[in-house]
Amino acid sequence: MTELWQLSALDIARLVRRGEVSAREVTQAVLDHIARVDGAPGRLLEPGQDPAAVHAAEPGVHAFITLTADRALAQADAVDAALARGEDPGPLAGVPFTVKDIFTVEGTPSTAGSRILANFVAPYTATAVARLEQAGAVMLGKVNLDEFTFGSSNESSAFQPSPRNPWDLNRVPGGSSGGSAAAVAAYEGALSVGTDTAGSIRQPAAFCGVVGLKPTYGRVSRYGLIAFASSMDTPGPLTRTAADAALALQIMAGADPHDATAVTLPVPDYLAELEKGVRGLRIGLSPDYFRITRVDPATGEWHTEEVRPEIRAAVEAVAQALADLGAEIVPDVPMPHTRDAIPAYFVISRVEAASNLHRYDGVKYGYRTPDPVADLREMYRKTRGQGFGLQPKLRILMGMYVSAAQYSERYYERALRVRTLIRRDFEAIFDPQGPYRLDALLAPPTPTPAFPVGAVYGDSVLMQYADQLTVAANHAGVPAIAIPAGFDGQGLPLAAQFFAPEFREDILLRLAHAFEQATADAAWRARRPGIVG
Amino acid sequence: MSEEITPELFARLVELAALELTPEEAEYLRRELNRQLDAIHQLEATPIPEGTPITSHGVPYPRERRAPLRDDRWQPYPNRDALLAQAPETDPEGYVVVPDIPHETLE
Amino acid sequence: MDYEPVIGLEVHAELQTRSKMFCACPVVDLTTAEPNTAVCEVCAAMPGTLPVINERAVDYALRVALALECQIRPVSVFARKNYFYPDLPKGYQISQYELPLAQHGRLWIRTSQGERAVRVRRVHLEEDTGKLTHVQKDGQAYSLVDLNRAGVPLLEIVSEPDMHSVEEVRAYATGLRQLLRYLGVNSGDMEKGVIRFEANVSVRPKGSDRLGTRVEIKNLNSFRALEESVAYEIQRQIAVLEAGGQVEQQTLGWDEARRRTVPQRSKEEAHDYRYFPEPDLPPLQVDEDWLARVRAELPELPHARYRRMRAQYGLSDYEADLLTAEKAVADYFEAVAARAQAQGVPVKTVVNWVTGELFALLNRHGRAADDIPVPAEHLADLLALLHKGALNKQAAQKVLAAMFTQGGTPEALMDALGLRQVSDAGQIQAWVDEVLAAHPAEVQKYLAGKESVLNWLFGQVMRRARGRANPQVVRQALKDALERRRAEP
Repeated sequence: MTELWQLSALDIARLVRRGEVSAREVTQAVLDHIARVDGAPGRLLEPGQDPAAVHAAEPGVHAFITLTADRALAQADAVDAALARGEDPGPLAGVPFTVKDIFTVEGTPSTAGSRILANFVAPYTATAVARLEQAGAVMLGKVNLDEFTFGSSNESSAFQPSPRNPWDLNRVPGGSSGGSAAAVAAYEGALSVGTDTAGSIRQPAAFCGVVGLKPTYGRVSRYGLIAFASSMDTPGPLTRTAADAALALQIMAGADPHDATAVTLPVPDYLAELEKGVRGLRIGLSPDYFRITRVDPATGEWHTEEVRPEIRAAVEAVAQALADLGAEIVPDVPMPHTRDAIPAYFVISRVEAASNLHRYDGVKYGYRTPDPVADLREMYRKTRGQGFGLQPKLRILMGMYVSAAQYSERYYERALRVRTLIRRDFEAIFDPQGPYRLDALLAPPTPTPAFPVGAVYGDSVLMQYADQLTVAANHAGVPAIAIPAGFDGQGLPLAAQFFAPEFREDILLRLAHAFEQATADAAWRARRPGIVG
Repeated sequence: MSEEITPELFARLVELAALELTPEEAEYLRRELNRQLDAIHQLEATPIPEGTPITSHGVPYPRERRAPLRDDRWQPYPNRDALLAQAPETDPEGYVVVPDIPHETLE
Repeated sequence: MDYEPVIGLEVHAELQTRSKMFCACPVVDLTTAEPNTAVCEVCAAMPGTLPVINERAVDYALRVALALECQIRPVSVFARKNYFYPDLPKGYQISQYELPLAQHGRLWIRTSQGERAVRVRRVHLEEDTGKLTHVQKDGQAYSLVDLNRAGVPLLEIVSEPDMHSVEEVRAYATGLRQLLRYLGVNSGDMEKGVIRFEANVSVRPKGSDRLGTRVEIKNLNSFRALEESVAYEIQRQIAVLEAGGQVEQQTLGWDEARRRTVPQRSKEEAHDYRYFPEPDLPPLQVDEDWLARVRAELPELPHARYRRMRAQYGLSDYEADLLTAEKAVADYFEAVAARAQAQGVPVKTVVNWVTGELFALLNRHGRAADDIPVPAEHLADLLALLHKGALNKQAAQKVLAAMFTQGGTPEALMDALGLRQVSDAGQIQAWVDEVLAAHPAEVQKYLAGKESVLNWLFGQVMRRARGRANPQVVRQALKDALERRRAEP
């Protein structure tokens, strides 16, 4: 028998709206399930306290920083009451969801996974979250992430233990939306709101075997999203099915008077689009997306590393399945500037991050050093020195350097021009008059499956290259989606990724949905993480 | 690994960034900065055609998708107390209090 | 050796919109508002908040830019100017840098040397900072932060280093203030800090076209501080050069008490603001329609009005200056002039009364030039009465003073003040007879059928009565007397 906590968002909303189950029943079932699987929530540890020991004492997924059970039940009751009054409780009635703790939610701590905001309680709610709540969804709490989203493993969070991969608790869930991906994979809520600045929705979705949609920049308001790289940050949903992603995006998307970068284009009916199928769509494959290319610093030579064979095979299987459904596969599509995406990102994102982190100064909110200080400057230094972890510090310092007046032309401006070239790669393959005329590009989202806890952390360069196959979409603003595509020999999820022209999330969702339907009966679809039971 | 970020340059960046670091942090951060710069220098191997513009915003904003500017209407903020309550130090009059600012006194 | 000063000005003017530049907080009077009451999550830089541009602020900026004959950029870009300071909540100021809203304009100034244009390098939009108060109390030093001003729209107007005397600096600064007030974008209340100046000053040997080392004088909040500090700095630099020294490039402040410039410690050790395009705001696009709309709404600008009014009313330079310094005064003057002229009053009379009696009253009562309590039509009617001789000058002065302090029409006040003219039939008959005797030619014209002469004769009688004769009685007596002459052969 299917438990309530196992249901998709679409099914929950349908049942609740029909009155077949109450929002409270669903919410309570999910809260009970969370209590079984999540273990110790992330928290600020005492000096000398070892996160591994905390994990061992209370093992679990550790998706959460703040669980807001009472608030969730109150919201569920409000949905039920609306139904009882004969009112429309909204298209997401009773759907339990989690929020990456990079979004502000009025009255709850909004920490960004950082000591510097550990005590910050926002007096306002992020637009994307507010819209889900207005649509009847029930917020369960705030989930963990890399500190200020700076990372690809969640290990950099100041709140420990950091989330683990539900499929293997010794591995990372990916990042920075690791808590979101882990929560959705472990059935702790039907969906989660994450953010993607370089792959932070898609990479953890791939690592945890869930659907992760990075919409076009400007499709979803960033209001209330604590900024990392403002020209790239994109809120988006993580779900277990393409249809749920369509449903969530439907609600989250659209113009917002509080965000000048949110566009006014009308929001299509994504659920209706799902049913259009994939016949006749032109899907490209690019050799540049099946390898990691970088200059070897020692020799100055280009160095190429292929993605894992199992990953290549999984993506090719997706291509075959879509071809069987009538899509046209276009091989050998050139994406020559893919290899520049990480170095350009190293520059652009740091400049924006350093500036965005200026406001954390111990004056208006958040942490202020308790140490005695001689003057304001010392208060700044101590507050920021004690409040920020290593990864924010690293980004601040790099941002300071590459945007300094005397270096800016060499680094920052050059990176912004390279960003134009990266965008032109996409424009060329999606050009309806061009040689490729693609509707979408199919690629692996990650070069490897989830890596073990501790395996990469600390190596800031290697960690960043985990994003090489995803970050180009953030430079170019185009939408992309990561979807489950099987498992490797160790039982770790494998994934595929699609890119589409800007504001064509509908195509991504159609492709994801079609592949899901085509493989519905595959044995791997029936697998569940062991911890879920 | 290059030494583009020398200890002196690093110290200046740290001062600009208003960060107080432990020696261990400083060592890690300077090393990682130099390693990242090695990766960044890869950009110099990419030819950039003459006249390539910069891309500094997420997507282009042609008129048909651009949000309108804000009407000049003011409204009182309903959560002023909640907002001020977040400040580490305030005084009874409603000022936010900060430590002494190094400044020139004009006698 | 003779030296020539080279001076450029940066002017920061608040744009007096209703709400702030990037959020819906009200723009309040800082001298009266309680601290941190006009503050919200956006201008307090709470995490996750975003700026949204106030359309009217752009409108106001365009007014100024067009009035300064600038080229307007169809696409301008906001940029972040990064530095730490507690009055700057985000740790960066949203400003414009490489691609400002407008460039290459000019402002016409008038000095004893005549008229000339000072080139304007750029005009751009930004946001103001909060206010800090430094406190020493019980042996403790700390600072208080008030964010009411943080985020108020600010226009930065940067001149080329085109000025060469304190007089030109004064003319430019006051001319700009006048323009801002004409455009209705800034009150010009210097004591409220709504306009602030920074001056770049250098000196060079006369005839040289090389620029000397320049110093910046910051935080000049009054015309006096601006003029005195520039004058001081010119003399100081010349003295340094004369002594064989070199001027050091630095940032200075003005020590009001000691009347001298003093080095200022900079906000940051290094002056590198690490500007980069503001990712939270798409480029600002100003299309032709928008520009045309703003252009159409521009009032006649001070310099053009100065020239027109000087020609139209035959004003002296001095009178034209006085009457166009404030838009409100110019409007008032022209309203009075139009109505008075229609009643035959010479414009010279209007000029004299506005710049003389009226300005004196404003001064005496401490009222601003845009706060004239006498309606223009009342003053015009008073001058018409005066002109017709219905009132003598002294009586008119008394009536104007009464209109100023208590209000009312000139006719009503004449009554109330007992300045009403003579109605005694015998006296009036005597005046009429005198006039008719003095002007036999006009009497003949009247009797020949030119009845309009009656009005002229009436005026002569009123004049003879020094305005105090009752016009109705006069008119009747005049008619009767003339008719009697018609009856007599």
